[in-house]
Amino acid sequence: MPQFLSNKRLILLLIGVILLVALISLTLRDRGQVSLPEQIVKEAVGAGQSVFSRPAHFVTGVFDNIDSLINTFEENRLLKARLEEFAGVQAEVTDLRSENEELKELVGKEEDLREYNPIQAVVIARNPDQWEEKIILNRGTNHGVKENMAVMTAGGLIGKVTIVTPTTSTVELVTTQNPNYRVSAMVLGEDDVFGLIEGYDAERRELLLKRIDFSVDLKEGDQVVSSGLGGIFPKGIVIGEITEVTIDEFGLTKLAYVKPAADFSMLNHVVIADRLAPEVDGEDSGMTEDEEEES
Amino acid sequence: MIRFLVPIVCLVLFFVEPIFGLFSPLSIGGSLYYVVPRFLILFLIFLTVFYELRHALFYGLFFGLLYDVFYIDIIGLYSFLYPAVCLIAAYFFKKIPQNLLSATLLALGLLLAMEVALYLFFQLIGLTDAPAGTFLTSRLWPTLIANALYLGLLGWVFRSMMVTQDPQRGTKFGLY
Repeated sequence: MPQFLSNKRLILLLIGVILLVALISLTLRDRGQVSLPEQIVKEAVGAGQSVFSRPAHFVTGVFDNIDSLINTFEENRLLKARLEEFAGVQAEVTDLRSENEELKELVGKEEDLREYNPIQAVVIARNPDQWEEKIILNRGTNHGVKENMAVMTAGGLIGKVTIVTPTTSTVELVTTQNPNYRVSAMVLGEDDVFGLIEGYDAERRELLLKRIDFSVDLKEGDQVVSSGLGGIFPKGIVIGEITEVTIDEFGLTKLAYVKPAADFSMLNHVVIADRLAPEVDGEDSGMTEDEEEES
Repeated sequence: MIRFLVPIVCLVLFFVEPIFGLFSPLSIGGSLYYVVPRFLILFLIFLTVFYELRHALFYGLFFGLLYDVFYIDIIGLYSFLYPAVCLIAAYFFKKIPQNLLSATLLALGLLLAMEVALYLFFQLIGLTDAPAGTFLTSRLWPTLIANALYLGLLGWVFRSMMVTQDPQRGTKFGLY
């Protein structure tokens, strides 16, 4: 009975498709939460992935070493030139640091938005279909990682933790297209200017710094750092520098293009910043959860 | 032997993919090129055409699900696409000359179709707003070229691994 068989197959196919659409829409809605079976799968795959990523990192490390060996002469010359400068700067930093501590003691200020607990982590995988910019780290709740923590490299901010399981965590990079991805930032200058990093221009490969007061003057080359006012990120993580200042689509506030300081290709060792000051729930946009529901 | 070999190869390819993903995006001459490693699905297409569809469907579903849960967080996307691609591969391979070259071309054609489908899907749910032109130049072509290279290097290994296992495979095409 070939007719019957193909009918049955058709029904199976239909049921399959319906199930699929239901599953997709269900998981699309609350992607932040992970159910227990998902967590178990993530753990298991993460463990396997670490096994594979270790030799890979070793190999890329060797290539990096060879690469830097080739540039050694040039680099050494440059570094020697900087070294004299460095001694001076070093002395100044020590001086300023002690002065800062004294002043803090004087004012009785204990908590500082700048201070954070660094959690070292290794990138074990990058989302291979790179539609979403995600990386997976080998640290999780067991190591004190929580959702929404800032993640950075030596260069600067690269993203924030979106999903944590006991031994892995998923990081969404700042270069994502996700419209709900916000980072409270400020532009360093004589007066600090505050704004929000919202969105990423894929063609220019630059971040958008929005909601800057219209009356403020910004210059190209100004440095942008996290402000710590969003409630989760520590203050002072380098984000990038301004390349262009324009007016936003409504003409009410200014918009600046920010070239990220961190290098997003070949991520290997990263640092998760666990802020010491109390944290606010939700995203790094300065809103508590109630406010977020209203908006 | 193939009973153990296939899952092991699948597992290795599954874990190797994101490691190659670490190299991407490549920046050549100031512009970025996204190279998406699609090792597993290409292997599964070869498994479909040179060995058996049902195995490919099963592994496609299983590894698609792992992929969804671990990387994408949208369950049902790759776990649908992987078996679907295998089904289409089985359907088309019956109609074309059955050799290594045609299988490679078919696999690349299906990969192209899958990339386009994924692009449309992610555009639908608003995860990307890259225009079609950018998608073509910075993602589709580099991905296809890189994966063609991979198939060119390893395609015959896959084929010889499967064909030697099953002398009667010529009669096994189609759905079950």
